[in-house]
Amino acid sequence: MSNQFKRRVNRKYLGTYRPRIDGWEKASGRAEFIDDMTLKCRLPNILYAKALHSPYPHAIIKNIDISKAEKLPGVEAILTYKDLEIVSLKPMNAGWTDGVDTVSYERMMWKKLRDRRILGSHAFWVGDEVGAVVAAKSERIGEEALRLIKVEWEVLPFVLDPIESMQPGAPVLHPELSQNNILPAEPIGGADVFVNIGDVERGFTEADINIEVKAIYHNATQGSLDNWCCLASWKDDQLTVWSNSYEADQTRMFLSEMLVIPQNKVRVISPFVGGQFGRGDTGEDPFFIYTALLAKRTGSPVKFKHTRRESFHNTRQPIIYTCKMGSGKDGTISSSYFKSIGNAGAYADHTCFATKFVPQEIVEVSFAHIPNVKMESYAVYTNKIPGCMMRGVGNNQFNLIFGLAVDALAEKLGMDPIELALKNFGHKWEKLPDKSLEAVLHEGARRIGWDKRHKPGKGRTYDGSKKRGIGFSFHPGWHAAWQEQRRGTIQAGIKLNPDGTVVLLAPTVECGPGSNTCNVLSCAEALSFLGVKPKDISWTSTVDTDSGLKDTVQTDSAVSYLQSEVLVEAAAKIRGEVMKLAAKHFKVSRDQIVIEDGIVCLKAQVKKSITVKKLLQKGDLVPIVAMASSRPHNRKTGVPYQATFAEVEVDTATGQTQVLRMIILNDCGTVMFASGAEAQQCGGQCMTVGESLLEEIVYDEKTGVPLDFNWVEYKIPTIADMPKVEPVLFEVWKGAGEYGACGIGEGVVTCGPRAIANAIYNAIGVRIDDIPITPDKILKALGRI
Amino acid sequence: MTLQQPCKDPRVSAEDRIIRLKVNGVWHEFYVGHDIEEADTLAYLLREKLGLSGLKVACDDGACGACTVILNGEAVLSCMTLAVDADGQDILTIEGLPKDDPVIAAFAEQSEPGYGTAMQCGYCTPGFVMTVKAFLNENPNPTAQEIKDALSGNICRCGCYAAIAKSVEHAAEKISRQASKP
Repeated sequence: MSNQFKRRVNRKYLGTYRPRIDGWEKASGRAEFIDDMTLKCRLPNILYAKALHSPYPHAIIKNIDISKAEKLPGVEAILTYKDLEIVSLKPMNAGWTDGVDTVSYERMMWKKLRDRRILGSHAFWVGDEVGAVVAAKSERIGEEALRLIKVEWEVLPFVLDPIESMQPGAPVLHPELSQNNILPAEPIGGADVFVNIGDVERGFTEADINIEVKAIYHNATQGSLDNWCCLASWKDDQLTVWSNSYEADQTRMFLSEMLVIPQNKVRVISPFVGGQFGRGDTGEDPFFIYTALLAKRTGSPVKFKHTRRESFHNTRQPIIYTCKMGSGKDGTISSSYFKSIGNAGAYADHTCFATKFVPQEIVEVSFAHIPNVKMESYAVYTNKIPGCMMRGVGNNQFNLIFGLAVDALAEKLGMDPIELALKNFGHKWEKLPDKSLEAVLHEGARRIGWDKRHKPGKGRTYDGSKKRGIGFSFHPGWHAAWQEQRRGTIQAGIKLNPDGTVVLLAPTVECGPGSNTCNVLSCAEALSFLGVKPKDISWTSTVDTDSGLKDTVQTDSAVSYLQSEVLVEAAAKIRGEVMKLAAKHFKVSRDQIVIEDGIVCLKAQVKKSITVKKLLQKGDLVPIVAMASSRPHNRKTGVPYQATFAEVEVDTATGQTQVLRMIILNDCGTVMFASGAEAQQCGGQCMTVGESLLEEIVYDEKTGVPLDFNWVEYKIPTIADMPKVEPVLFEVWKGAGEYGACGIGEGVVTCGPRAIANAIYNAIGVRIDDIPITPDKILKALGRI
Repeated sequence: MTLQQPCKDPRVSAEDRIIRLKVNGVWHEFYVGHDIEEADTLAYLLREKLGLSGLKVACDDGACGACTVILNGEAVLSCMTLAVDADGQDILTIEGLPKDDPVIAAFAEQSEPGYGTAMQCGYCTPGFVMTVKAFLNENPNPTAQEIKDALSGNICRCGCYAAIAKSVEHAAEKISRQASKP
């Protein structure tokens, strides 16, 4: 197959094309998700939590009367903002960490931005969970009870636009934190001007060519099919929470810190999760807390589950970017200045992660050879749905302006943008051109027919009104081992049973990326000396914080290699133990022993051998257990690159854009599981096509009410919207460690919007840099409406 | 509150308040107003009352197809079907398929290079499998365009569409191979 990549090292299992280990379980409907584990027929005394949502974008509850609701049969408890359990809760934010590390309340990422009151009386957006929460015998009774709660609202002025929100006189949302709605600077991310290298102004003066561009990214939502859900249950002072958050240990920390109970009294269980995509990030969400409190009050297990409407809970951070870029006539970029205004929405959460933290990281790995770089950012509160985390956080928004600047500067220089990219961008530990970038761009160009690219808008016309165009964008990866240092130690273990089968101890909440398959393959690889095959290894799909090891969190697809690297160490320990057994069996010293493919023999007498299985049977029949715990490798290896090339067809009569073809190119360092990596590459395009052309949260500007919190109007691409996608994998760059891999799960969604927007420009000769690029924007740009 | 109590309307006979559904070959009876409510969906009944959790309720709006089951041979959205309207009908859920069903097998085993796997998180997969099951019964040798049309009511947010389409091709091949066996 022409698609198959060139492997650096031929390994037995890793890097192969094969089915997922959970394929049968998932395809047959036997894979259990939290909603399945908490069915009423399994838990007859279950209660359901239903929270009150603000109908106003900005309002205060002056009073609340729950007397009628309390009398409704089937209502078991109502908690309001006046109750002591609620009043005594500390202020917080959602998403204490970016998922990489485990943090306490004191060490949460955004300490100055604790702007959320759990079930407070002040609502900051339409949909804000405020005031009261009901526990009832059915969801329907719970909803009926909410209708019976009489709320006296004081409706306040609101603001939706971040630029308006920064102006004097705008309603101030969180005066205790900011008097002008601009989020205060934090140590993470830094000051308003958070990067200032060299002298950008001088750079622009000295440059031969300067360009200025603008790009706007909207607030797409993650759209996991498996809505947020948890079930809380108490046995005396022991709390158990079933959750579909993707970080069980961090959820335990969160519950323990917020409810002030010892960690050994909190148990969190997370089964398979039906898609995470970054929602809520580490998931320190108020609903966990009030559900646990309702369970305590009622003495029954209480389940909380978002409806689809409520699942519009947080989004990608909308950002308005401007960029000025200057270069010499030869295309050597001398100066780059980026300025952004991020719309945080109602709560700060991880907005500064997108606006500051991520671009700062990009400077190190992509702008290292540009002498003058300045970055400035303002994140602003508004009365919209909060921005939090979404797959490709910050990178997607940055790429939309970055890829535009490269395209526009190249055009003004009369230069090929691929040449311009290779001439200027790379990390600081290597000379230009970056080999990884070169590989992805050259292959992408070859496949799409880049050399035949016409001038913007100058291509032929198809079917009377359709124009075609091609475009690309590229971006650095951001989950190499050295960038994962903050996680602390990664834990994994191997239990070798006396019959030679293996129980893999590598807890991670499987939400789709396929790291469970990577772990099984890497375990088989590391134990291949014992003759262990993937089918001999069992992996548990449920993470339980009482089981011993900390779970490793699926940010990006970094778990595809993080636990695998640790399993190499665990396998070495297992080898040592088997050697011991063999030495005892043969009555020789350990250095006389050879173990290969499941056979143990003596170095000197190869014929004197015993199978590993037989050897294990001769011992005490106690499984051999090896645990390993180590930090990700810290050697600064730079990062690999990724690129997307797109071909589009724009109907200039209707404004409709059809993506015809996408080529997704990823350098992985080492491909851990080829079919899984390709699934990420092909699959990610559902998100990029959606965010580029279809998906958008639309507000009624007059009332501040979002209009499309459902999947009929908020359009997620189906198979009918999808182009032909070609996944291309590379092993060019190599990180540290045995495998030296890098995550790609987020990167695959990062370059798509810009590649599509550049292709649209190439097709019609007019730039639209405000996504989603809907038919009305195209017709407007063409002067048709 | 009347929601939890049997219907007391004297014009409705006790017999009329009982619905009977054949699910995966077995008849079940439900007393409307007690076991279930008039407003309960088929998805609710199958999941919460019978514990058939293969189908998922993801959008609850008929937009994503995750709740697809087969009713009298046709794929239906169980979140958009009232339980009482399924009275007397024959329903097949994914639990009713044989373990080695060719459609399940094709989805589970997809790893043809260039397409990725047919699922990632797997939440939408049972809905796709049941849609494909009904589709291939009607059209055992579909073209690529027919596959696209048939699956355009199902959402896979992980986006494994190309591999899903491949799985449908593989399933059709498996079925035709099985049919040609003596």
